[in-house]
Amino acid sequence: MENRAYNYAIVRSFVTWSVIWGLVAVLVGVIVSFQMVEPDLNFPPYLTFGRLRPIHTNAGIYGWGVGVIFATFLYIVQRLCKTPLWSDKLAKFQLWFFNATIIASAVTLLLGYTTSKEYHEMEWPIDVMIIILWVAFAINIVMTILKRKEEQMYISLWYMLAAIIGVAILFTVNAAAVPASLFKSYSAYAGTNDANVHWWFGHNAVAMALTAPPLAMFYYFLPKSTGVPIYSHRLSIIAFWSLIFMYLWTGAHHLLWTPVPDWIQTLAMGFSVMLIAPSWGSVFNGYLSMNGQWHQMRDNYLIKYLILGITFYGLQTLQGPMQAIRTFSAFIHYTDWVPAHIHMGTMGWVSMISFASIYFLLPRIYGKEVYSIPLANLQFWLILVGQLIWSISLWIAGVLQAGMWNAMNPDGSLTFTFMETMVEMYPYWWARCLGGLVYMAGLIIFIYNLYMTAKKGKPTVNNAAAAAGRA
Amino acid sequence: MDLSSALYLGVTFGLFVVFLLIVIRTYSKKRKEEGERAKYRMLDDD
Ligand code: HEM
Repeated sequence: MENRAYNYAIVRSFVTWSVIWGLVAVLVGVIVSFQMVEPDLNFPPYLTFGRLRPIHTNAGIYGWGVGVIFATFLYIVQRLCKTPLWSDKLAKFQLWFFNATIIASAVTLLLGYTTSKEYHEMEWPIDVMIIILWVAFAINIVMTILKRKEEQMYISLWYMLAAIIGVAILFTVNAAAVPASLFKSYSAYAGTNDANVHWWFGHNAVAMALTAPPLAMFYYFLPKSTGVPIYSHRLSIIAFWSLIFMYLWTGAHHLLWTPVPDWIQTLAMGFSVMLIAPSWGSVFNGYLSMNGQWHQMRDNYLIKYLILGITFYGLQTLQGPMQAIRTFSAFIHYTDWVPAHIHMGTMGWVSMISFASIYFLLPRIYGKEVYSIPLANLQFWLILVGQLIWSISLWIAGVLQAGMWNAMNPDGSLTFTFMETMVEMYPYWWARCLGGLVYMAGLIIFIYNLYMTAKKGKPTVNNAAAAAGRA
Repeated sequence: MDLSSALYLGVTFGLFVVFLLIVIRTYSKKRKEEGERAKYRMLDDD
C-alpha cells in the first residue's frame, strides 16, 4: 500500500503522556479515598483532601481523558480522511503545550488557587492556556478534514467535530471572568445565573468530552477490531443529531430543587429523559454490529473491552435520566450515589473504550505486536472488578445515606444526626479503597504491557512499514 | 405573547423542523446506498 507518510510519532507521544496523567489521576484518587477513611493521612496545607481532590478529577478528565482524545483523534482523522495531518508542527506544539497546561494546573491547585467551580477549578491564566491548546488542536483537525481525500465523512468524524466545537463554546462561555490579580478572578455571572451557566458547562462537558469522543472511538475501533462494518451508518447519523439537539438543554438537572426557575428545571428533566433515545441508538447499533460476531467476545480481547464499555454507557444513560427526575433527585442528590454514577461512566465507559483504543493502536504506531495478550485479559478483569466494587459499594452507601437523612421520628425531628450517618459510611468507603487498589493494579499492568510492547514487542510485518511512515 | 417569547417559540419550532428534515433526508429510499457507503469505506483504509 502507498506510504502516505501519516504522522504516528505524535500519536505515540500522546498515548504515553495520557497514560502518565492517567496513572497520576488514579494514584491521587486512591490517596484521597484513603484520606476519607483515615483523616490522619491529610497533611496540611498541600496534601489535604480539599487540594488533592480537584487534582484527581482534573488529571482524570483533562490529562487522561483529553490526552486519549488527542491521541486517538490525531490517528483517526488521518486514517478516515486518507491524508496526513495538516500541520505536524502544530501537533508538536499541542503536545508540549498540553503537558505545560496540565503541570500548571496541578501546581496551582496544590498551592490552593481555585475558582471553586467544579471541573473548572483552574484560575484564568490557565483557562487562557486551555483555550490556546484547544484552538491549536481544532485547527489541525478541521484543516485535515477539509483536505480529506475521502468524500463522505464517517460517523466518527461527526462526533469529533461536535466535541471540538462543543468544548470550545462551553469552556469559553463558562470561563468568562473578571481577573482581580494573577491568580484570582470573579465569575462574570452572579447567583443562580452563575450556577446555571456552570452546570450548562458541567453537563455538556460530560457530553462533549466524556460521551462524544468515546463514541467517535467506539464507532471507529469496533468495526476495525471485528473486521465487519457497523450495523447501520444511517442510524448512527440520526443518533448523533438527536444527541446534539438534546444534550444542550439538560444542564439544569444538576440544579433541581434550587432557586433556578422551575421551568428550566422541568425542561432539563424532560430533555434528560429524551436523551435515552440517542444514547441507546448507539448502544443498539453497537450490539447489532456484533450479529454473527459474538464469538469474538471470547476470541478477541479488544471486543470484550469495547462491548463492556458500550454496555456501561447504556447503563449510565438509563441511570442518568432517572437521576434527573425531581422525586428521584430529592432522594439521591448530595449522597454517595452520585460518585458511583460518575465512576461507572469514567472507569467503565470512558476508560474501557480508551484502553481498547490504545491496545488497537499499539501495533500500528509502534509496528510491534502487543507484548502480552494474557496480561491484557488480566487487566480487563481487574479494572472490571475494581470498578464494580467501587460503584456498587457507593450505590448501597448512597441509598443508606439518603434513607438515614430522611428518617424522622413521630414528632417530626430527625432520627439520625449527620455524624451518625457519616459513621455508617465507613465500611463502604473502605470498600471503595479496595476497588480503587484493584483498578490501579489493572492500570499498572496496562502500563507494563505498553512499555514492554514498545521495548520488546515482536515486529509486525504489515504495520512496521506504516509506523515508519513519518516516525 | 411578547416578542422574545415568540422568538423562543420560533427558534424551537425551527430546530424541530431542521431535525425532521435531517431524519427524512437520511432515511430517504433514494439515499439508502449512499448513506451506508461510509461504513464499508472506513474498513479498507488500512
Ligand atoms: C443520558 C445521559 C445522562 C444523564 C441524563 C445524566 C444525568 C446526571 C444527573 C442528573 C446527575 C446529577 C446527579 C445529582 O447530583 O443529583 C449526573 C451527574 C454526573 N454524571 Fe451523569 N448522566 C448521563 C450520562 C453520563 C455519562 C455518559 C457520564 C460519563 C462519565 C456522566 C458523568 C457524570 C458526572 C461526572 C456527574 C457528576 C457531576 C457532579 O460532580 O455533581 N453522566 N448525571
